Amino acid sequence: MQQAKTAFLNGVPYDISEGETILSFSRRIDETNEIPTLCDDTRLAPYGSCRVCSVDVALTADGPRKVMASCHTPITDGMHIFTHSERVEKLRKNIVELVLSDLPEHMLTKSLTSPTTEFEQVVNETGVSQVRFNSPKKSFPASNSSQETQSVDDSHPFMRSDLSMCIDCNRCVRACDEIQGEQVLSVSGRGFDAKIIKGQDVSFKESDCVSCGACAQTCPTGAISDIFREGLASAYLENIKQESTEQDNPKPIDKVRTVCSYCGVGCNLEVSVKDNKILSIEAPTDAEVNSGHTCLKGRYAWRFYDHDDRLDSPMIKVNGTLQKVSWQDAYEYIAKRLTNIKTEYGSDAIAGISSARCTNEENYLLQKMMRAVIGTNNIDCCARVCHSPTAYGMQKSFGTGAATNSIEDLKQTELILLIGANPTAAHPVTGAKIKQKVMKGTPLIVLDPVKTELARYANWHIQLRPGTNVAVLNMMAYFIIEAGLVDNDFVQTRTEEYQSYAQAIQALNIDQLAAIAGVDKYLVKEAAIAYAKANKAMSFHGLGVTEHSQGSRAIMCIADLVMLTGNVGSEGVGMNPLRGQNNVQGAADMGCQPHQGAGYLVINEPNNIKAYQEHYQVTENSLVNLKEWPTEIGYKIPEMFNAALAGDLKALWILGEDVVQTDPNQQHVVASLENLDLLIVQEIFLSETAKMADVVLPGTSFLEKSGTFTNGERRVQRVNAAVPAKQGCKTDGDIIVEMMNALGYQQAPYSPESLLDEISKIVPFFAGITWQNLGDNGLQWPVYEEGVDTKILHINNFKRGLGKFHFFEFEESTEVLNNSEKLPFILTTSRNLEHYNAGTMTRRSGNEIIVDEDVLLINQLDAQEKGIEDRSKVRLFSARGEITLTAELSDKVNRGVLFTTFHFPELMINRVTGDVTDKHTKCPEYKVVAVDIDLA
Amino acid sequence: MSKNLSQLARRKGLDNTLFQKLVFSTEDESSTSLEQQRKNLAKEFLVGDAVVHGAASFYDFLDDGSNQHNANKKAYVCNGSSCLCAETQKGVQAKLVEQYGEDNVGHVTCLGRCAENAAFQIADSNFSGTDIDNLEAIFKDAKTQSNEKYQVFSTLVTPILTAEIPDIKRYYQLFRELSIKADVEDKQQLLSKLIESGLRGRGGAGFPTGVKWQSCLVEKGDEKYIVCNADEGDAGAFSDRYLLEHRPHSVLFGMLMAGFLTGAKTGVLYIRAEYPAAIEQTAQAISEFKQLSLTTDFSFKIIKGAGAYICGEETALLRSIEGQRPVVSVRPPFPTQSGLFGCPTVVNNVETFASIHFIFSNLTDEKKSGVTLYKNLGNGKSTGSKLLSLDSAFNKAGVYEVAMGTSLTEVIKLAGGFAKNIKALHIGGPLGGVVPISEIDKLTIDFESFAEHGFLLGHASIIGIPDSMAMIDYIAHLFEFTALESCGKCYPCQIGSVRGQEMFEQAIAGDELINQELLSDLLETMQLGSLCALGGGVPLPIKNILQYFADEISPYFHTKTEVGA
Repeated sequence: MQQAKTAFLNGVPYDISEGETILSFSRRIDETNEIPTLCDDTRLAPYGSCRVCSVDVALTADGPRKVMASCHTPITDGMHIFTHSERVEKLRKNIVELVLSDLPEHMLTKSLTSPTTEFEQVVNETGVSQVRFNSPKKSFPASNSSQETQSVDDSHPFMRSDLSMCIDCNRCVRACDEIQGEQVLSVSGRGFDAKIIKGQDVSFKESDCVSCGACAQTCPTGAISDIFREGLASAYLENIKQESTEQDNPKPIDKVRTVCSYCGVGCNLEVSVKDNKILSIEAPTDAEVNSGHTCLKGRYAWRFYDHDDRLDSPMIKVNGTLQKVSWQDAYEYIAKRLTNIKTEYGSDAIAGISSARCTNEENYLLQKMMRAVIGTNNIDCCARVCHSPTAYGMQKSFGTGAATNSIEDLKQTELILLIGANPTAAHPVTGAKIKQKVMKGTPLIVLDPVKTELARYANWHIQLRPGTNVAVLNMMAYFIIEAGLVDNDFVQTRTEEYQSYAQAIQALNIDQLAAIAGVDKYLVKEAAIAYAKANKAMSFHGLGVTEHSQGSRAIMCIADLVMLTGNVGSEGVGMNPLRGQNNVQGAADMGCQPHQGAGYLVINEPNNIKAYQEHYQVTENSLVNLKEWPTEIGYKIPEMFNAALAGDLKALWILGEDVVQTDPNQQHVVASLENLDLLIVQEIFLSETAKMADVVLPGTSFLEKSGTFTNGERRVQRVNAAVPAKQGCKTDGDIIVEMMNALGYQQAPYSPESLLDEISKIVPFFAGITWQNLGDNGLQWPVYEEGVDTKILHINNFKRGLGKFHFFEFEESTEVLNNSEKLPFILTTSRNLEHYNAGTMTRRSGNEIIVDEDVLLINQLDAQEKGIEDRSKVRLFSARGEITLTAELSDKVNRGVLFTTFHFPELMINRVTGDVTDKHTKCPEYKVVAVDIDLA
Repeated sequence: MSKNLSQLARRKGLDNTLFQKLVFSTEDESSTSLEQQRKNLAKEFLVGDAVVHGAASFYDFLDDGSNQHNANKKAYVCNGSSCLCAETQKGVQAKLVEQYGEDNVGHVTCLGRCAENAAFQIADSNFSGTDIDNLEAIFKDAKTQSNEKYQVFSTLVTPILTAEIPDIKRYYQLFRELSIKADVEDKQQLLSKLIESGLRGRGGAGFPTGVKWQSCLVEKGDEKYIVCNADEGDAGAFSDRYLLEHRPHSVLFGMLMAGFLTGAKTGVLYIRAEYPAAIEQTAQAISEFKQLSLTTDFSFKIIKGAGAYICGEETALLRSIEGQRPVVSVRPPFPTQSGLFGCPTVVNNVETFASIHFIFSNLTDEKKSGVTLYKNLGNGKSTGSKLLSLDSAFNKAGVYEVAMGTSLTEVIKLAGGFAKNIKALHIGGPLGGVVPISEIDKLTIDFESFAEHGFLLGHASIIGIPDSMAMIDYIAHLFEFTALESCGKCYPCQIGSVRGQEMFEQAIAGDELINQELLSDLLETMQLGSLCALGGGVPLPIKNILQYFADEISPYFHTKTEVGA
């Protein structure tokens, strides 16, 4: 047996772990005896610039000693480390003195009195109390000096820098490169004159900074910061001052850990709160999901939470205007109206739309209310308009409609296939992780009509025409089969219906498909072969796959590729939807779907009906009794609008979704809502949908509520209220519970603990989840007894037994078939980094200053033909409507394709979008709209 | 260093490097602004704008967009230590300014014209000695030849490094013979021979060459590189320049063998921009090599530097090629594990490669074999021969090849003694020791003898410090050099060099006497704390001066009692 390797830390032997440096070894062994350092950040590669972490190293206890920097020197067997010898303590002190000699004097004095930054702590630890050099020259005069050299940059809505405080540790530069992958920061000049630059030495605002804040979070001195961190720092100073002057005890600054509500990545956030006011949001470094990183939405776009526009009272529409009422009156009014509608038209005249922004517990409650209190399966959620095809298609192929693997599998993967997704904008932390992998050489295939940020780095960018995913995915399958690269073992033992699938694929006319998709078949072939040959290939997809008339079919085509190559059921592989909203996975898991209840049990199977009835304690005498229990599949969202317009649906309860702004074909949606007898909207702002409501109930943001969110990798994480609900508002869970009670159903008060307990009894994959055992980093479902969770699905068997191959022919969307003659362009849409969907939240933050309009990207040649110049105003029109917006000439789109974002609803992009939906799930085809343009 | 930038550069390959695009871009290339050009480069190379600007702004000869910059000057005056000691540059500067105007004259740190001094560069041509008297002709015709002359002398019966190569084809015949057997075992055997010869790196660090190559051979991967460090930045050194200009095939041969023995297919010669003739001659040699059509897939690539001393440090040199800012990287990983583009890489000095042909000659004959002859030359662990660069302080200045172990006194005798009154020799570049006349007879030319006596052989350049040079000024000069050339990564060097320069300048100006304790703290901090040999090395010559020239220096110091008070 190999003997454990040991090294001596200040004379005491300890085992060493593989790959450790002296610094990480010493930190692991003895947290109290810390080696000071300025340039080290555990998330960044060892850099070795500050030399403050130097230690004495000998090969024998009394042998000659050598000074070595501990952060980048590997620990080896038999080493003797002396962390605090007289010599190294003196060295550290002298180095820190040198550093201080190039800093404003106040940085030394401040350190001595009230250390709040990492730098100040190191100054104190090393015991430097004076700078002995005579009038040392400074790289930058202090920011308050009268000299003209500008050290302060306050050009940006969030980011700040004051380089007079900079110590050139380059942590910001490295974070920008190694964490975010943006390389906005670097250094200019050399030696003493070396200074941090943004872009070609421009301001933050002029640079390509994506405001992720990684630089501000890692900066040890505050030379690079942001407006919120500066505020937090002054709050700390104020508290210290108050304490020292022995006035009243200062209000403490609390840290609350929660989960971001902006996308399906599920970044953990650490919220600093004083006196019920949020001061700053940072990313906890121990978070498994985001290890101290997040994006500008999570970190900076939170000021909406106490915005003046927040609703602050329930309202009922009287004579066409919304009037404030008490909660009691609102509940009574709704109860009366719903009961009347139910009596007159039946339970199925009532429907609910739940919110993927809300917690699992709230989603569970809303579907429970619809099913067990109202008695209908008319419950859906916004997954309908985004990833319903993923859930449907992956269930058909594999048996589970969720990511097969975890994001951390990126570490193992050897090739990435990215289809219809722009994660650096829409899922920034996952996007950054993918970009990091790709920059370091992992091959990337991108299928996308738009030259996205990641497509720039792709080895193969297949820039297909919007709407032709199925054609290209089938081409890939063809080339894999043709090249004999099918994983036969996998196909034989783990799948079914391969033969008929392969026959159909082999019969395809590849040239025809290439022409349809507008792609080079050789490029597709190369990419397909690379995908098949990679030992471990991981696929990711987004709404560029699902929001199509063939959305569900394209999902099954991806699953086909995954199975063909055996890329499922192990580390570093799989099929991974990038879920758009923070809890879109959870909303479906909790049963906010018309055909499946909590835990995906199909609602019309006798066993399931029985299970639900027992779970919800349905009896002959309950509110919805055994006979009334709904067993028919309910309306999907688009069907709700149709039913409303047809007069079949009378009442609609919408939780936190602005369907008027965000659902396609706005005129149709508005007409539908107008035709309702009763529209109830739970919202935090008076959205366009809320304006149409008969009753508006003021809910709360994620910062004011507790519960759980489930991210895109099935990770159920705890959400903790950072501040209490805004005056006059209630958490959405409280509202639903109170409404259930008002309707005559006895529902216990909202608490995440008790609701998770209830949920775990019906949702099989939540069986082992309790509020307690979720811990800081959550658990990935299925979670078994004792909280054993699951990082990878389908390891030995698919959930459905054998994986099933499906073949689908490419079908042109009717949107194109019917309109392309008159409307030759295809418009496709997506999100940008700065804004979130309709901008309800992000546009009430500084992000509005960074990006303040939706622009239309148009290929240069198309623009030329149409006489359109950069920044021209153009009229964009479809068969349904028209809008006017600004054009931007771009090489990101091919000829015939137009692209825009949809964050500025006043632009009413959904006036233009259409009615076509995915055949299987009714997910709208946002990504393909036949349009034309001309100069406005 | 950034792994991302290394790998992004790797994608583009050696024939399309950001660095060379920056070096070879000319002002009149297009009407687009410098800013736009750099933006375009950033886009092409998939890196941030800051990366391009940050890299460009590091170098003396690349425009960083500021008008005080040293790039694009009409003439450059050498400010290296040898020219400083020769006291020729005030005159040169004055004449150049007169001809070109103050704003059009830049500076360059050592053109390797130390045998003649009075060195300057005009339109990518170097001049020295009496050339300055011919300035008008040069001004009129940039192709005017320099009249440079220096001694090339070998004390060896069979010269190794200075031997002529009369027939290139025959010269490379050795490679044909050695490369017939290409099993790993055969390679191991040849590497053992190389280790046996005792060849140690000639750049200054003296690491056993065979061991380095072996550690590259055992690394997995079929993409490996051989890099020749021809960034001879040590002021006073010009032996590498000699080899590249006059014996380039010896260098190419060494690289070719290194490639064969380690499994690398590409050789990169990183040659400093200050050596235009070396670049030209090496390029010529490479095209001659190609015409030989040897059965090898090994190819050569020249990378032209842009003026930064630190690029002589191997990790900085590799980053420079990759288009990163050439700051020093931490080790491990060593270049043999992860070097150019993250691939296993052998980096050796010009002279190291140039020694290879001799060592691998006549291997079959035990007595006459290069290995035997080589290891029998020299002194203990220092074997073979060494080139010395003797500056104009010697009567017969030039490049001398001597056997390791030759006494310094003999070298001085060979060179005809000193041309002027000398009080010390600065040996081994700016980071080498300052040897007072009294210590000269104790030294022999080998790594061990110098180390034992508290000096450093380094790259074996020898500059005579004349009596007229005030040692206080020389220390200030050394600090200034370090401050100018520090990459700026580690604090002891970045800030320490500036503080040292200030202390001495203030003392010279009479503003403030030197605090002895503070100076000794500073030197210790630089020596123990610096990341690389620049900050870590410059305290050596300074300490030598403080020790051997205490009388000359002491008036600039606070007395001990004052320090204690």
